[in-house]
Amino acid sequence: MTHATAAPTLKMGIPIPNGKLGMWLFLGTEIMFFTAFIGTYIVMRMGSPGWPTDVNVTHIRIWAGGTNTFVLILSSYFVVVSHDSLLTKKYAKAWKYMLWTFVLGFLFLGIKSIEYAGKFEHDILPGHIPENNRQAMNKIVEKYGELVDRRLVAAFPKDPNENEQKETGKKNWTREDQRAALDAQIKSLKEKSGRTPAEEKQLKEAEALSKFNSDYISLKEHVRADISLTVPYEKFDEIRKEENSRSKYPAITLDEVNQKVEELVDSKEDPELKALAYGLSPQHPILYGNLFASNYFLMTGFHAIHVIIGLFMFLLVLMKGSRLSINDALLVENIGLYWHFVDLVWIFLFPLLYIV
Amino acid sequence: MSDHDHDHHESHGAAYFRVFIVLCVCTAISVLADLVHSVDHRIVVVVVLAVATAKALCVMAFFMHLKFERAWKYLLLAPTMIIAMALPVSLRPDIGETYYTPDVPQMRDFAEHEESLKHLESHH
Repeated sequence: MTHATAAPTLKMGIPIPNGKLGMWLFLGTEIMFFTAFIGTYIVMRMGSPGWPTDVNVTHIRIWAGGTNTFVLILSSYFVVVSHDSLLTKKYAKAWKYMLWTFVLGFLFLGIKSIEYAGKFEHDILPGHIPENNRQAMNKIVEKYGELVDRRLVAAFPKDPNENEQKETGKKNWTREDQRAALDAQIKSLKEKSGRTPAEEKQLKEAEALSKFNSDYISLKEHVRADISLTVPYEKFDEIRKEENSRSKYPAITLDEVNQKVEELVDSKEDPELKALAYGLSPQHPILYGNLFASNYFLMTGFHAIHVIIGLFMFLLVLMKGSRLSINDALLVENIGLYWHFVDLVWIFLFPLLYIV
Repeated sequence: MSDHDHDHHESHGAAYFRVFIVLCVCTAISVLADLVHSVDHRIVVVVVLAVATAKALCVMAFFMHLKFERAWKYLLLAPTMIIAMALPVSLRPDIGETYYTPDVPQMRDFAEHEESLKHLESHH
């Protein structure tokens, strides 16, 4: 190994270059870093009966995971071919294979971001998943409220008398103003004797929006007061004045609320109402659902961050371009070690998240 | 310093390619294990984790070149592995048992759903 000039001196330390030793020590710490999260996932999952595994609940697709595994394995293979080519002095080939690895890294991130987009769309986020009936009902009311606001703003975006208001210094165009404008519009259209087809349509839409809003207020009050939907909202003023009113009336149930939501979303007699209710959906509580979401994002998120760091390191080598030479062998080897570790982590994440 | 001081380095491309093919086959086995539904889930878990370990060892031994390195690899990996195993093993009797409530709404609904299906079947 070394050129013997005199008797071999007693050597301390491990017979590898410092850079390689440094990278291996770092990988040792990374092993502990990732096994902390993976160990946490395993332990929490073992202790949680009913952990969501159904694909329709978790929206975890095996094809995405399998393709990502193949992409990373291929990129690991390309890194090792690149290093091998560098050692046999085929520098152009080495650079080319490093470029392929770089591209495959982006492909991995692309597939991952499609998966993440799906999670965001279905609101599978830590803290967003209801874990008991009350949380489910509150979530429905909250979502419904957001929809009502959005529809009202879309229908009445701003005050028609805006310029006047600026002079008198009136406050902003609020929700109450929007509802008053809606009521005024319905009233004026109804009082008109001969309505054109366009005005008929306008009246239908305005009435649907008004019903959408009043159903929301009724549902919100029922959920807040914990009183069953079978008790009409008109009676609430009386009920509030009664003594022991809570024990007299049946409590609201999640099934009722979900049924109400389904009536709105599926209303066949009122297509305008159906259009307004688009985006609302029945909620079912999933205990440990938030644990699942937290663990999922923690593991895959940190892994994705490590992939991004690896891509920066590849860029470092790629920027050398035609200056790539045998002197860069150690650099490429160490970057290859890091990338293989990233692949290793994914090899364990894939079965744990997607299959088990 | 390194064992690449000599001018001529032999390419190991063929060996790397064989390892790559083995890794692809292992991935295919894992995916197939997931798609098979008639087998007990615990067997699937064991198979899939064994395959993952095999893949990891392939990557570590050949791609990361550890098979051809010397005893220092054990010096580096032994402490990390011990600490890595310690977390789940030590927490298993605590959080790894039922640490919260075994009364889970989605399992109750599932059990009720199964019951109702059984009633339907018995009426046929």
